[in-house]
Amino acid sequence: MTQTLQDMATSGRMEIRDLSITYRKPKSDEVFTAVDGVSLTIEKGSFVTIVGSSGCGKSTLLLAMAGLIPKASGVITLGGLEVTKPGRDRAMVFQDASLLPWRTVHGNVRFALELQRWKRDDIDERALRYVRMVGLGAFADYHPHQLSGGMRQRVNIARALCVDPDVLLMDEPFGALDAQTREVMCDELLRIWERDKKTAVFVTHAIDEAIFLGDRVVVMGRNPGHVRDVIEIDLPRPRTNAMLDSAAFVEYRRRLREYIAADLAALQMVEALV
Amino acid sequence: MTAITSTQGTVAGEGRTFLFKRYYRPIVSTLAVLGFLLLWEVAVTLGWVNGRFTSQPTQIYRAALVIFAEDDFGWHCGVSFVSFALGFAMALAVSIPLGLYLGVSRWGRLFLEPPLMALYTAPRIVLLPILIVWLGIGLASKVAIVFLGAVFPIMVNTMAGVRGADHRLATAARAFGATPMDIFLKVLVPGSLPAILMGVRLGVGRGVLSVVIGEMFVSEAGIGHQIMTYGQALQFSKLLVYAFTISLFGYGLTVAVRMLEDRIRNWRPSS
Repeated sequence: MTQTLQDMATSGRMEIRDLSITYRKPKSDEVFTAVDGVSLTIEKGSFVTIVGSSGCGKSTLLLAMAGLIPKASGVITLGGLEVTKPGRDRAMVFQDASLLPWRTVHGNVRFALELQRWKRDDIDERALRYVRMVGLGAFADYHPHQLSGGMRQRVNIARALCVDPDVLLMDEPFGALDAQTREVMCDELLRIWERDKKTAVFVTHAIDEAIFLGDRVVVMGRNPGHVRDVIEIDLPRPRTNAMLDSAAFVEYRRRLREYIAADLAALQMVEALV
Repeated sequence: MTAITSTQGTVAGEGRTFLFKRYYRPIVSTLAVLGFLLLWEVAVTLGWVNGRFTSQPTQIYRAALVIFAEDDFGWHCGVSFVSFALGFAMALAVSIPLGLYLGVSRWGRLFLEPPLMALYTAPRIVLLPILIVWLGIGLASKVAIVFLGAVFPIMVNTMAGVRGADHRLATAARAFGATPMDIFLKVLVPGSLPAILMGVRLGVGRGVLSVVIGEMFVSEAGIGHQIMTYGQALQFSKLLVYAFTISLFGYGLTVAVRMLEDRIRNWRPSS
């Protein structure tokens, strides 16, 4: 019953207010603050990218949105309902190595449907439809180790989309890919996303990727992880590779680089003091 | 888009060498065995070694004919097989669930790991005198000793398989709303299947060893009993007929498990 109510109420708008996340360091009582006082609104149907140097808490923030880690304080709501645990309204794309190696491409996509208890009669067909959508129709019976990194990430995306989530959460999905494959995958991801414009949150440390994909880029800084700025990306859609060299793009890139360089400089100063 | 690596790398061979390249493993192995048998035969015939104590392939062959004709060979094998099968089945029934449990439960490990490890490393044969007092001379003691021989390698490997499972897979499953039972059944169990089968393979060896040792001491029949009897009578040819029989059985079963392992391992990157 609650499930149906939740389904009706979800609208894909995500609100984060004063979110803090702490870890207790193993084997000591020291508490480490990974994310501190983050507030963010992610509009329904928008593509938001989160960028920052490593260790700025961007992945932690995403895991909290997925409901996979506990919050120290603050609230995350999706469609007005508080996020406390993983739910059918969200799906996650991981960096790599999150496909079951003993299942085929088709079996891995089907896995998500099985876990969400979709009706048995049509999950095979539905899984296959999404395998085809990401261009892997000919590889449905392959095992993950037989695929390239880019193909594995296509499977990951298909797995996340097939459960029809309101929000798609992506944790550096192209982080392990080479530069060329990355570009192809970005184009591909946008092509798929433009179809039904699900709310998308995409974490990356690659500045170009963040600008190219996002309607808005959230810049995070470290120690502790916080939001430094949110930049609206005013580039038309569909995005094309030609835009990478446009004056606007270059300007966005310059601004983001400054932020990240400042962040790293601050870190080096801290390290020099210690 | 990208290169696809093939699992079954076909051996690129040409003409005559093709057959050899493809089948060189069984060919070389067979030749090695035949060569050894030939050397053995010749060594005895030429008097390099004393055939009274080493026997000889042809003598063993003649002994085998005698044993098949007059020794109730089938019955002895049956007795051994029943002890092995019962003990091994019980070992499977206990070790796999227990290993899976210990793999996921930290408290279970804290309580049970030290005594189980002590038993795993200790030679279980020292328990035989106690088992005889508890269970008497006969089937029950033999089943118990097979059980004790096979249960630990399977359990330890199962536990290691579950503990070694990639936690990122469990996290991914959890992100899609997997229940703890989903994670157990769909991530941990299939993920540890190769380790479980490796344990089963090791368990086969231990179980076969145990049934023979058990029968040497606590049985009126069976392969181990016959080996002991012919050993005391210095009839080594007959002894070796039984020794080969049990070896063949253990080897066959090991190969069968290995084939099963290869089958379920086809998702693994070939190394």
